[in-house]
Amino acid sequence: MSATPHASDPAIDPALYLPRMARILEVTPLTAREKYFKVELPEPLGHRPGQFVMLSLLGVGEAPISISCGPRADNMLEMVIRDAGSLTHVLHGLKPGQQVGVRGPFGSGFNLDDFYGKQVLCVVGGLGLVPMRSLIQPILAQLDRFASLTIISGCRSPAEELYRDEVRAWERLGQETGKVRVIRLVDRTQNLPWDGQVGLVTAPLSSLPIDPAQTVVALCGPPVMYKFVLLELTARGLSHAQIFVDLERRMKCGVGKCGHCQINHVYCCQEGPVFRFDQIAHLPEALQ
Amino acid sequence: MSAFFVHKEAVTQWIRHLARSNTVYFPQRAGQSGFRFKPVKETTEIQFDRYQPTLAPPGKKLAPAEEPLFRYRKQGDAAPELVPILDQSPRILAGVRPCDLKGIHLMDRANREGHGDPHYLTRRTHTILIAHDCLQPCDDSCFCDAVGSLGWRDNADLFLTSLEDHILIEVRTGPGETLIQGMNFPVCTDVAAVKSRAEAQRAQPFGRQFHADLARIPAIIASQWQAPVWEKQVERCFSCGSCNLVCPTCYCFDVHDDFDLTDPNAGQRTRTWDGCMLPQFAEVAGGHNFRPNPAARQRHRVKRKFEYLTERFAEGSFCTGCGRCGRQCTTDIDIFNIVNDLIDHAEANS
Amino acid sequence: MKPKVAFFDFASCEGCQLAVLNCEDILLDILGLVDIVEFREAMSETAPRFDVAFIEGSINREQDAERLRDIRARSTYLVAMGACACIGNVQARSNFIAPAENFQRVYGVEDRNMVQTDPEFWPLWAHTRVRAVKEIVPVDFELRGCPLVPEEFVHLVKALVTGATPRFSTQAVCVECKMNENECVYDQGETCMGQITRGGCKAICITNGYRCDGCRGILPHANLAAHHGLLQSKGLSEPQITNRYRLFCSAESLGRVGRTGHDK
Repeated sequence: MSATPHASDPAIDPALYLPRMARILEVTPLTAREKYFKVELPEPLGHRPGQFVMLSLLGVGEAPISISCGPRADNMLEMVIRDAGSLTHVLHGLKPGQQVGVRGPFGSGFNLDDFYGKQVLCVVGGLGLVPMRSLIQPILAQLDRFASLTIISGCRSPAEELYRDEVRAWERLGQETGKVRVIRLVDRTQNLPWDGQVGLVTAPLSSLPIDPAQTVVALCGPPVMYKFVLLELTARGLSHAQIFVDLERRMKCGVGKCGHCQINHVYCCQEGPVFRFDQIAHLPEALQ
Repeated sequence: MSAFFVHKEAVTQWIRHLARSNTVYFPQRAGQSGFRFKPVKETTEIQFDRYQPTLAPPGKKLAPAEEPLFRYRKQGDAAPELVPILDQSPRILAGVRPCDLKGIHLMDRANREGHGDPHYLTRRTHTILIAHDCLQPCDDSCFCDAVGSLGWRDNADLFLTSLEDHILIEVRTGPGETLIQGMNFPVCTDVAAVKSRAEAQRAQPFGRQFHADLARIPAIIASQWQAPVWEKQVERCFSCGSCNLVCPTCYCFDVHDDFDLTDPNAGQRTRTWDGCMLPQFAEVAGGHNFRPNPAARQRHRVKRKFEYLTERFAEGSFCTGCGRCGRQCTTDIDIFNIVNDLIDHAEANS
Repeated sequence: MKPKVAFFDFASCEGCQLAVLNCEDILLDILGLVDIVEFREAMSETAPRFDVAFIEGSINREQDAERLRDIRARSTYLVAMGACACIGNVQARSNFIAPAENFQRVYGVEDRNMVQTDPEFWPLWAHTRVRAVKEIVPVDFELRGCPLVPEEFVHLVKALVTGATPRFSTQAVCVECKMNENECVYDQGETCMGQITRGGCKAICITNGYRCDGCRGILPHANLAAHHGLLQSKGLSEPQITNRYRLFCSAESLGRVGRTGHDK
């Protein structure tokens, strides 16, 4: 006799690994290595700040990519992609009109409720500005709901600065409203024109005019940056519960299965990539 | 549910009979000392007495080394056609031992959590499990009793217990029931008596035992992040990943795309086994590796089995005690010894 | 525009080019993706520039090195194809033997002496070391193995056509052995190089009943001390172990393994 199968499992989502197709509307180089992509999905992405998507090209592959725009009602998705691997290299050769695959949004992201009414401090290094923009945009859009916004953004040299015009527009908005403060730094000017400061993102922290009790921090940058920024923030009297960190791992599935993004027992793609720091401070693999 | 007490010869004939209209996997000799779960043919030797854990656990039939996730066909300016590949072919895994039955249970838990994995779960719903109890340890490597796998039967559709020249067949599910319909097996009138006779034959102690209660092990391991045991236990490690790949509860994977030579507009996305002992597993774009040395990777593997997943799913252990990783490590690195070393180190330093 | 592809052979058995030609069922499909402009095994045409140059064979003579540099200068991508080009292969074992001794072994004492004294043969003395391609010019991609793995060749061609980065295994042969559910060679009483050898071959030798002899080269992260100790514990003598390490990967293993002086 032939075997009868078990009852169908309601947990089965046949489309779990299928991308939705999005069309590229705009590709703009931001630096020698990074390009800005604006793509249009069939429906709104419905994401929170700090979430990520699995971006793919059929026949080439799939990779986790940070969402760079704030939540939006239309069908647009903005990303900044560094030419750093197989998929991203091919992506850099694409033009408007071509299609990319999108799965997601995935992960926890930032919750604006944690930031309302607070003095918000965003500390970013290098590519960290890409996901952080998804938090900065909604804050700027409803600035009256926040006490203030301070952005400390560093990169290696003026040539590597991302969102150049937009960051200066934030700066001008700050001068108009008095609620936004932008500190732009480079490690070295490398003899290029530079209208900001020279130094590491940790430098301004000690003298920053903030009320530690009223401050909430969002932090995103290369692994080496976190330790030193956290030391400075702790010295200013901030507790780990006031700090949100956005961590990078190389997810292969986005849905808590492939194991690649695990930080000790935590699945970065599910519980992260944004964590309230006190919830992962004890995890040795978080920032090493 | 019903139970039958059947002569072994009749059970053998029944397995063959099932194999005529179903794909039935049963452990068969492979090479000099190994066994593999292979499809039963007319000439296949069906025997329940001599067994060594198969090279790969039977659960890998539900998560093969390489499997397509979907096929695609680009259609110019229009959206491409995307077809998920879900394997609905029915299969029976027979002769599954309690350790591997537990392994499949744990794989079910992991694959059902949150976003259910459609590929695993589709195969799983089309799979019937005929399990077979162990009354003697299969060899010196197993430690199933120490991790609570011995006697595991929860997810068996049919559970078999050998007693001399007979086998007790306990029916546990509807799909299991369908497999014995029409066989006219003699009903077992006193299941409890047969079971207690079998229990009397079970080896005591059964296989290797840890130096601490299983319930204490997650906390002990959690306290041993810096223990010298990790370094000591990887001095001989090749980072070859064999321990991951033969594990009944390892399910990590990598994903890649490939297009067809015959039509570059069509192709598929495929996933393949991956393992946290392999050097590049925790590397991120740009090259930073969050577990750059074998000790860090070994620690992660052991903690997944005895702490992380154990606590996440509230299971006694995510290690099934099958012993495959230690048995197949060419330099005899054995997770059982690592755990015992950690227990000893914790005791010595408390 | 289809990429222009060329094949060149140096010191080798040309078995890798044959392995490519043996992909009969898919060769026409490959030709749909690329234009082959130079291929001595199959045609005789020369072109001034190549998008991809496949190099087969090790580099044994200075004139070979010159030819290789010229090809490199005319190629966008250069691919080392097969164990000879990638790691020197068996002929690189001569690197461990004094040239004069080598000549004597092959030609006898008399001819060895003539080779030493007759100016006509002096250029032969430039042949003192067998080199892998990467020792002379930058190599973009390596198709390892003796012979190369046809699936990897196809994969590389596809990647070059799409602009993607080809994926080659940096894991031990054991990975693919386990995927094939092979019984471990060590469990059959034999010894194997699989734990320290680059995979990507689908463990073809073991799957077909042999052992791994390491033709794809030694992994960068190979735990050589542990492997050496393991072979010792299985009863292999030092000369036997050295032979195993040097069989295919002499050029690569130089300075890493087998500095024990047992070369004869």
